[in-house]
Amino acid sequence: MMADSVIVEQLKRDRILELLKQGKRLDGRRLEEQRPLYIETGVIPKANGSARVRLGDTEVVTGVKIQPDKPFPDLGDKGILICTAEILPLADPNAEPGPPTEEVIELARVVDRGIRETEMIDLHQLVLVENKSVIGFFIDSSIIDADGNLFDACSYASVAALLSCTVPKYEIKDEVPALVEGVNSKPPVKTIPVSVTMARIGEHIIVDPTADEEACMNARITITTNSEGNICALQKGGSDGFTVDQLIKCSEIALAVGPKIRKQLEQLM
Amino acid sequence: MTQLMNENGIRCDGRKVDQLRNVSIKVGILKNADGSAYIEFGQNKILAGVFGPRDVHPKHMANQDRGILRCRYHMSPFSVTERKNPAPSRREIEISKVIKEALQPAVLLKDFPRTVIDVFIEVLQADGGSRCAALDAASIALADAGIPMRDLVSACAAGKVADQIVLDVNNEEDQEGQADMPIAIMPNLGKVTLMQLDGILTPAEYKTCLQTAIGGCKQIYEIQRKALMEKYFGNGGQ
Amino acid sequence: MEVKRRYVIPGDVIITGPFRPEQNVYQDGDKIVSTSVGISEIYENTVRVIPLCGIYMPKTNDLVIGKVIGHSSLSWEFDINSCFVGFLPAQDVFGRDYSPTKDELKERLDVGDLVAARVANFDRSRDPLLTVQDRDLGKIESGELIEIAPSKVPRLIGKRGSMIQTIEMATKAMITIGQNGWVVVSSDDPVGLLKAIEAVKMVDAQAHLPNLTERVKSMLGVELGENNDTINE
Repeated sequence: MMADSVIVEQLKRDRILELLKQGKRLDGRRLEEQRPLYIETGVIPKANGSARVRLGDTEVVTGVKIQPDKPFPDLGDKGILICTAEILPLADPNAEPGPPTEEVIELARVVDRGIRETEMIDLHQLVLVENKSVIGFFIDSSIIDADGNLFDACSYASVAALLSCTVPKYEIKDEVPALVEGVNSKPPVKTIPVSVTMARIGEHIIVDPTADEEACMNARITITTNSEGNICALQKGGSDGFTVDQLIKCSEIALAVGPKIRKQLEQLM
Repeated sequence: MTQLMNENGIRCDGRKVDQLRNVSIKVGILKNADGSAYIEFGQNKILAGVFGPRDVHPKHMANQDRGILRCRYHMSPFSVTERKNPAPSRREIEISKVIKEALQPAVLLKDFPRTVIDVFIEVLQADGGSRCAALDAASIALADAGIPMRDLVSACAAGKVADQIVLDVNNEEDQEGQADMPIAIMPNLGKVTLMQLDGILTPAEYKTCLQTAIGGCKQIYEIQRKALMEKYFGNGGQ
Repeated sequence: MEVKRRYVIPGDVIITGPFRPEQNVYQDGDKIVSTSVGISEIYENTVRVIPLCGIYMPKTNDLVIGKVIGHSSLSWEFDINSCFVGFLPAQDVFGRDYSPTKDELKERLDVGDLVAARVANFDRSRDPLLTVQDRDLGKIESGELIEIAPSKVPRLIGKRGSMIQTIEMATKAMITIGQNGWVVVSSDDPVGLLKAIEAVKMVDAQAHLPNLTERVKSMLGVELGENNDTINE
């Protein structure tokens, strides 16, 4: 994320490029291989749902809070779902506390779109009184250790927290939503989005870049697919570009890599 | 309203009046931070990370004679019952300040002129007494980062609940009890570096509350020492 | 003479009495107190603590490995794994009579280059001054950089260089150790390179445990002879 302020020594850059020509990476992975993914849910018992995800040395804690809320104007027949992400200053020596930078804002919005636009949760089932009172899902990710590919780590943690959450029941009493104690349900899940982030270094495409690889990359792309095998969200980033052929290749990689992660996430339901 | 204490002197979470909640500390759990610690104090789950000593930005904030200490106490939006806005609240800013001032006397800042030591605290789940738990983790994170210190800092709160002085106030007791007094000390030097009071105490209760809190701090100190010893010296630590 | 050792954390009183406080301790009345997590040593009438963690504090004459992070037309700036940035004046490389342009500096040493340098001067009122005017100093053309804790460097060097020599001879690799905890390992033989890297990381992880020399030798496949295993100066 803070690619400009991380200076990777030239010798390491040279080695990264040399290894790529041989189809290898610094940590021994193949180009299209992700780091091991560990997911633990229920780590914040007081929240409605939560997950802790480790992707290599990148680590994220996500919590889901479910509360009654007012619907967005013009969307009175849908509940609310908002994702945020924050790189905690303890995660990265280059992260400074203060108002979010453009990188962090982009990260949060990409994670948000990757879940909301994919229609993972059926928001129509979250209405209490149309146009007046709905259920709101707030999914907040706190990045506690940063070593590249914060996009996928936050996305997996958010999806895991959502899949494993319990939804409290609200009913209208005296025109105001009131909690019905002891009645919980599972979230209305329609599809499971899986994001796959790739970086281009020279003419090589690698999956799940580490911080060192991100510091050397020319461009980056995050592609989210759903359970039906469709592409439902995408973001290109970085100061250089992709050829059309590379974009097609990236979409194929995302579709190939996604299902294994989806299987891991499905176990949490 | 919860019954805070029953006829047998047992509190709403099953504890006796002088009983500390369960505390566990893990040291050095983050890869990027120079020093780190994770504490579970009752239901509190708090992460502390330290960077430094390092360069100060903006440069005009640097002190020519000594290092400066910066502290940020922040609560994750999902850490409290009703979701909290991620932007820092006035409460978080005040707590950041008192935590910084609790750590300052312990850190040997004279050794690092023109640098800054950053302490970052994130509350992942809050349950009463989070500022004390945060301090306990921050102090270990500083030691883990190799920042030279005169002593550790150990913190614990005492309070008044159902007309009794109790050790270690939990969330319900904080909301509905009669007084809450968080305290931090440098245990070997015997100096109190954080103290606040919320509530009403008679002069006698004040003294008892203070002694009770300090007793709690000393118990915490043993847990902190054990956590550091185990991380660095394994089971061979004395 | 016997050295008394103990595990300590900040605030631990090591001893009381007329002792001379040395590194990583402070005096409180007649008590000598540790400031760090580490191993305290009482030797004759001095007391010190060998810390197990902590950043590098530059000392004049230290050999360090630095990474170029910027330059003006007057000097290069180095990351030397410390809270202080190292400065290498242009005239140290170009000579006193030549005023180079910014581009000429960039051509010699650019951002991201690794350099072996010596700390020419350091007092805490200013950032450390570096020099490369020496036979074995200058830009590092090949090798891999490993970061270890600065406090483990004496252990990696060993008594009179014994540990580093053991590793170099067993792996045929060349190892340059910076006092700042940055170590460069280079070798034409990829197997030797990996073994040397593993040995360095092993010392970093186990420097404070006994019998380290035996375990390193065993890992490298070297014959175990008699060798003193001390936590040294």
